[in-house]
Amino acid sequence: MFDIADLVQPDKGLIDPSIYTDPEIYQAELANVFARSWLFLAHDSQLPKKGSFLQTYMAEDPVLVVRQRDGSVKAFLNQCRHRGMRICRADEGVAKAFTCSYHGWAYNIAGELVNVPMEDRAYHNEIDKSQWGPRQVPRIHNYKGFYFGTWDDEAPSFEEYLGDMAWYFDAMADRYDDGLELVPGATKWVIDANWKFAAEQFASDMYHVPISHSSGFVALFDDPEIRALAAGALAAPGRQFSGNGHGSGFGLRPDLVPDPAGPDFDAFLIERREEIYRRLGEQRALAVYGHNTVFPNFSWLATNNTMRVWHPRGPGRIEVWSWAYLPKNAPEEAKRASRLNTVRTFSPAGVFETDDGENWTEVQQVLRGHIARQTTFNAQMGLGHEQRDLDGMPGRTAGDMFTEMAGRGMYQRWADLMSGLSWQEIAELDKRRREQEEAKQS
Amino acid sequence: MSTSWIRACGIDDIDDGEAFRLDTVPPVSVFRSGDEFFCLDDTCTHEDYSLADSWVEDCTVECPLHQAKFCLRTGAVLAQPATRPLATHEIKVEGTDIYVRIDREREEHREEEHREGAHHGAA
Repeated sequence: MFDIADLVQPDKGLIDPSIYTDPEIYQAELANVFARSWLFLAHDSQLPKKGSFLQTYMAEDPVLVVRQRDGSVKAFLNQCRHRGMRICRADEGVAKAFTCSYHGWAYNIAGELVNVPMEDRAYHNEIDKSQWGPRQVPRIHNYKGFYFGTWDDEAPSFEEYLGDMAWYFDAMADRYDDGLELVPGATKWVIDANWKFAAEQFASDMYHVPISHSSGFVALFDDPEIRALAAGALAAPGRQFSGNGHGSGFGLRPDLVPDPAGPDFDAFLIERREEIYRRLGEQRALAVYGHNTVFPNFSWLATNNTMRVWHPRGPGRIEVWSWAYLPKNAPEEAKRASRLNTVRTFSPAGVFETDDGENWTEVQQVLRGHIARQTTFNAQMGLGHEQRDLDGMPGRTAGDMFTEMAGRGMYQRWADLMSGLSWQEIAELDKRRREQEEAKQS
Repeated sequence: MSTSWIRACGIDDIDDGEAFRLDTVPPVSVFRSGDEFFCLDDTCTHEDYSLADSWVEDCTVECPLHQAKFCLRTGAVLAQPATRPLATHEIKVEGTDIYVRIDREREEHREEEHREGAHHGAA
């Protein structure tokens, strides 16, 4: 048994590391966090036509996400109702129907059972096929081309769930008139670390960058201008946002260029400058270009055009599914520059990716220790220096990117869900917390 | 049984590689492969599935459930697990309209021929 209030104390910045190792806590996370939250399923560009489908996971649950005839998207458990085999074993493609490869129960693209082999002879025509379709993901929301799903009827609407994070999400999702596209195919790899290390870092951690990634910066960027930019960006003020468990952090950039993707991408950004400013406003376009997590496990890095889901695989393992995202209809040379930047930096062998993976897996190794597992972690950076709506940036904001405010926010939401509080109770708690913060600030 | 021509649909109702199902009993479908149109029984002869929701390509239709494949010109089985051919029906295009004639007696006659070992072409 465990008591969440003992394990995580966001108001004091204290974390008991057993939350990263305990199998019982992990099982509770699957039920209380992942099965109740909105999880990223797919982007519009991955499902170009009717019957387009992909396999993904909602935590450990395999799901099929399928474009319907009417253009809508459905998702259902990739599990045959007969003996539980995967209904579809292809990663992605275009389907007319899905036939289980075990005994042949077949489903249409809406996830209805349409054929049972030997229905007359073996089932004596007594099976009610309408009752035996796979479990449907009951709620799916298309947010600007990003499809999210939840199993929980009680969860708030997706917009409410996103809350103030929408403003930061839009800096990525809404940047260009033509929208975004994902480079086809997810890049997948497995690392032996708890999913929260990765989700938290993408929500909240600029602090590791000058240390963990220092050698990578030296190796990657010959261009003194880029190096100066990186150094300048870390020296310059930044901001962090925290709300509803989500987080975003960034430096305040003086200009859209130079971008880490290099001159070909710079040329594209200069050409689209007015469009980007018109869509986002100059302040947001320049600033909100950093690290991000939508609670619990969907993250992206704007500077590297990488997007990923941290699929949990037990307390000590993550299956990372990552995509490079690109401005749709950008010139091929700009897309190429952007893709190369992603591959060099954040991909299985990317310079910065491997830095991060090394840290997370090493921490997980250390936590094999009996004493290490009981030794409290410090998450107090910037504690007590939270503000609200700083410079017009909505929500709980910090006047520096070097803070762990968003990490504490993530663990707060995690603890609220893990405690078994209803979504209604969490909303009321959050309202009270917000009022206290506002009273403190005024 | 009616043997008169009936209007099935317009040529623009069916994209290449698609089919249009008519709710006759049993149902038939009009399949389009390239600029050619074919009318055959809609139900796969292996398991119960509508071939209108199947893969149409190079004058063939492949059932997505178990990959049984049929010739759209003759109805002949081109791939297992189906073993019995699909019934074909007369079809004509007039202007932009597609007409079909479903003559089940003619089919029965053909089935007899089949049993007697008469030659059926395959694509």
